[in-house]
Amino acid sequence: MSSARSWPALVVLAALAALPLTPFMTKYYMLLGFDALLFGAVAMSLDLLMGYTGLVSFGHAAFFGLGAYATAVLLERGVLSLWLGLGFAVLVVGLYALIVAYFATTRRGIYFALLTLVFAEVVYTFFRYTQTFGGSDGIQGLPAPYLWPGLAIDTPARNYYLILAYLALAYAACRVLVGSHFGRVLVAIRENEDRARFLGYNVQRYKMGVCVISALLTGLGGALYPGRAAYATPDLMLWTVSGELIIMVMIGGLGTLVGPVIGGAFFIILQEKVSSYVDWYFIVIGLVLIAIVLFMPRGLFGLRRLLTLRPWRATA
Amino acid sequence: MRFKSLLALILAGAVIGGTTALAPAQGPKVVKIGDLGSKVGVFEGYGKYQSMAIQLAVEELNARGGVLGHTIEVIVEDDDTKPAPSVRKAEKLILQDDVKLLVGAVSSGATMAVMDVTKKHKVIHWNAVSCAEFMRTTKFHKYYFSNQPDSRMQANGLAKYILDKMGKRVYIFYTDYAMGQSDGRQFKTAIEKLGGEVVGVAGAPLDTKDFSPWFGDINAKNPEVVFLAFAGTDSLRLMTQLHSFGMTKKYRLAGIDCFLLQQDLPAIAEPMEGFVQLAHFSAYNPDKNMQAFNARFKKRFGVDANIMAGAYDGLMFWATAVEKAKSFDPDKVAGAMEGMCLDGTHVGRQCIRKEDHQVVMDMHLYQVRGGKNIPIAVVAGSDTIGEPMVGRDPVEGFTWEIKKKN
Repeated sequence: MSSARSWPALVVLAALAALPLTPFMTKYYMLLGFDALLFGAVAMSLDLLMGYTGLVSFGHAAFFGLGAYATAVLLERGVLSLWLGLGFAVLVVGLYALIVAYFATTRRGIYFALLTLVFAEVVYTFFRYTQTFGGSDGIQGLPAPYLWPGLAIDTPARNYYLILAYLALAYAACRVLVGSHFGRVLVAIRENEDRARFLGYNVQRYKMGVCVISALLTGLGGALYPGRAAYATPDLMLWTVSGELIIMVMIGGLGTLVGPVIGGAFFIILQEKVSSYVDWYFIVIGLVLIAIVLFMPRGLFGLRRLLTLRPWRATA
Repeated sequence: MRFKSLLALILAGAVIGGTTALAPAQGPKVVKIGDLGSKVGVFEGYGKYQSMAIQLAVEELNARGGVLGHTIEVIVEDDDTKPAPSVRKAEKLILQDDVKLLVGAVSSGATMAVMDVTKKHKVIHWNAVSCAEFMRTTKFHKYYFSNQPDSRMQANGLAKYILDKMGKRVYIFYTDYAMGQSDGRQFKTAIEKLGGEVVGVAGAPLDTKDFSPWFGDINAKNPEVVFLAFAGTDSLRLMTQLHSFGMTKKYRLAGIDCFLLQQDLPAIAEPMEGFVQLAHFSAYNPDKNMQAFNARFKKRFGVDANIMAGAYDGLMFWATAVEKAKSFDPDKVAGAMEGMCLDGTHVGRQCIRKEDHQVVMDMHLYQVRGGKNIPIAVVAGSDTIGEPMVGRDPVEGFTWEIKKKN
């Protein structure tokens, strides 16, 4: 990233880092901020597939849930090191992602989406019915992990800064990736897969690569979740969560990286706030999302264009 | 670029900071309590009646001057019947709204997840309907209290009646999550211990739409009694489908206390005719305490009360304990609640057992006749509650294996 392009991101990062110092950021808002930034980061990971490669995954919740279970299993057994949890999550999610990517990338369009969905449902069902992992109730009552002995991630503020660091690193990784030759090939595949193949690119290998990278970033996000929530349940892998991630990308702005972060945070906060006031909150959320899709096809991030337009000048 | 960064800052600020505009204002001399329950979905009815019971208690307490001179205000949140939203809402109630008492959730899975939150943040937690056995055993913490008869209490109360009056060969069909699994374990253990035969067990996922795939196995095992551990709209669908397959006439049916609320019964009276369940409350129970409570409830809301009236007691116990402790401090209030006895609950005088914070409550056996829960027997609370088992697995060594009887 060039310094000219990266400084706005640094400013936003600094602003987010300063938020907990403001008086309105209670412990509750820090935890809500955790969820908002976490799902924003996960939506950004999905954007690598959807926005840059043109692949719609209906199974991203499985990567998230597997990451969560990887950490939860260790925490339950007294392994409290965050790094070991993240390492185990990379291993588990990476292996699963390789299998899914190998089979799913042999197909295009709706068939790719369906394969990711089917794989995710298999994983969901496995955890749902396996009592070793707590069955439908999952693994609950988990202790907080530690960064190193003596520094447990056990307060809302520490959790907030942890997720902010994860978001910053994930964003930097995604930005580097989409700006690289690899990222440009992904865009070529999105625009015309056959032409990319005729140019000599091994399209399936590129698609597998981006699938695994996106899955790993999602899985790492999932691995951070049990430390904040103290549980991992099969619900985290449900297809509805995958659907919500797709919605986050769409309302944020496809193929922008920043947009899905905003979309994810917006969705989580909207869901949280509206559900406190209305029983049938998903109807309200649905109407808001329909309005965004209809009137803001570039998503929330597309709003910036309104501000960057030059002032209107009268012509003679 | 300047505009971009400005916009990004505005968006980031709006995302987190803008939400404070929606935060409710706090007034002086107000104490808040949290009502966390399912407001839509499979357990919607339980959540709505829980809210009504809490509202009645709050109105009565506020009419008497509140608690420690504080007016009680209720903050209602929907738990979405799932652990993740339940935890998030519990955190919101505790960390943002500063509630001193949290009542909920409805689903056992959600309640167990919320228990981690109330334990961590030291908030008095009252459970009025979730019945998984682990809440007063392995998951128990000092701020947790309940007057919901859990699986062990229900099994102790109902299993003997089933074997004595309904049949010895029992098939257990349960909803496959914390509550149903817990009921299945406890009833299988109790029935086998009492000399009955469990001829089959099966679990169907929560919110199953079509139960017919499980009916073949039930018929193949040819039980005398089918014990059903379901709740809410699952129960409605299950009974309708069992009836359409002729199985409500073929087998004797029994179920858990929260199988269906009284309000659901008239609409499904024919399939439910003869159904036996054990519960702590019915508007058709002639008990004077229940009738007195039901009269107040009906006057306020225009409908009969049901088992969710237990939430009313939660507030009454908590308010009495606060007055006794002269403080909202959770440690002092929890200490005051331990072993406390209280008159005027929805079923009269009740006491909280000190060891596991479970209310010792008489259980009534009911049979559905003409869409009404009619009492047929009473089992003393002391005979159903069982020994305190804090920190221990209540059915250690349990197996779902079917033991054939010679």
